[in-house]
Amino acid sequence: MSTQTPAIEVTDLVRRYGRTDAVNGLSLRVQPGRCYGFFGRNGAGKTTTIKCLLDLLRPTSGSVKVFGLDPARHEVEVKTRLSYVPDQVGFYPWMTVRDTLEYAASFRSHWNRDTERGLLDQFRLPLGHKTNHLSKGQRTQLALIAAICPEPDLLVLDEPTSGLDPIVRREFIQTVIGAYQDGAPGTRTVFVSTHLISEFEGLIDDFTIIDNGTEVLTLDADTARARYQKIYVRLPSVPHGLAIEGARLLHQRGRELQFVVNGNADDVRTRLAVHSPETIETESLTLEEIFVATLTPAGAAA
Amino acid sequence: MLFELNYKSAKPVYLQVVDQVRAAVASGAARAGDMLPSIRPLAEELRVNRNTIAKAYTELESQGVIQTLAGKGCFITGQASPLRKDARLKLVTEDIDDAVIAAHHLQVDKAEFVRLAADRFEAFAKRRARALQD
Repeated sequence: MSTQTPAIEVTDLVRRYGRTDAVNGLSLRVQPGRCYGFFGRNGAGKTTTIKCLLDLLRPTSGSVKVFGLDPARHEVEVKTRLSYVPDQVGFYPWMTVRDTLEYAASFRSHWNRDTERGLLDQFRLPLGHKTNHLSKGQRTQLALIAAICPEPDLLVLDEPTSGLDPIVRREFIQTVIGAYQDGAPGTRTVFVSTHLISEFEGLIDDFTIIDNGTEVLTLDADTARARYQKIYVRLPSVPHGLAIEGARLLHQRGRELQFVVNGNADDVRTRLAVHSPETIETESLTLEEIFVATLTPAGAAA
Repeated sequence: MLFELNYKSAKPVYLQVVDQVRAAVASGAARAGDMLPSIRPLAEELRVNRNTIAKAYTELESQGVIQTLAGKGCFITGQASPLRKDARLKLVTEDIDDAVIAAHHLQVDKAEFVRLAADRFEAFAKRRARALQD
């Protein structure tokens, strides 16, 4: 692992609302230049964690560091180096697109006008329109422009593409790759929480799956796909109460069975061979399938 | 040259890009002097991290398959591998071992295996020849 200061470092984070533990002992670390996926079901604690990173909420206990700094004590240093795109974007409704960008730029020490012009052209945003007349897709595009033009070291995205049409979602992701990442390859970090895992699949270097406020799985995406595999077999007959050590039965329909394995596909294939399968096929799980397999109790999907 | 990524493959995404460029050269779909797309548009098109494409191109460059000309782009070299013959044979042997193991478990005997290997050599040679005519 790198010895650089992590872009984000969360250690034993706890955040309580009344008696509810929204985040309960979460730890994760995001290296600079990486694109980090933060996956969890609704209510898993994703937004609460992100709000702690942005100093919109204070941790109950544990620590949160951004660029090695405490966002509560070094608010300005941290905020000048990051941008945030939330799920619901709020703008002043009486401002035009042009005014909104000028207003956003006025808080920033740096603003790339070329990037702004390029993205405004690409998205064909009407500069003179008031923001309350924009569609949800246009509002997200405007928020993305405002987030990228300061060329921050860290881009925090919280469910950025939910509720958008597929074309806008694609453009959004392409903009993150192109206009944002390409500007300073190797140092621009993305932290994205999303349910649309398959859309972001190619972008994700590393990820954490969070459930009930704690980390369930952290891996880099290539390792995850190599480790989690689906084995499909058709047996001449299925012995009563068949159980294969090291494999989880995902589905069974008659003589066809589908198992999920974690890093031991070869062993499991050898164990299955004893039952003289008529066919045996292996494929990797996508990140979304890994998410579902990780958070579905054993047997529930069978 | 068209790329297609498969997230149901255990192969790392950057290696899929590497292998597809290598396959394109072996089959004549890409020829010496052909330019590869630049990193940013390819990353945008495939919707993958730009670092993934950069890593693939670095790997292809270290293998001598492509060459980066400053300010111009990445080109297929068409050059012979810079490795010594014993090193080249060793690399191919590793892949053949995998194929031999697969053949053993699928009851493909030596004669069939050798015939199949010869057929595949021919198939790639034909594809390269056809690509040259176009």
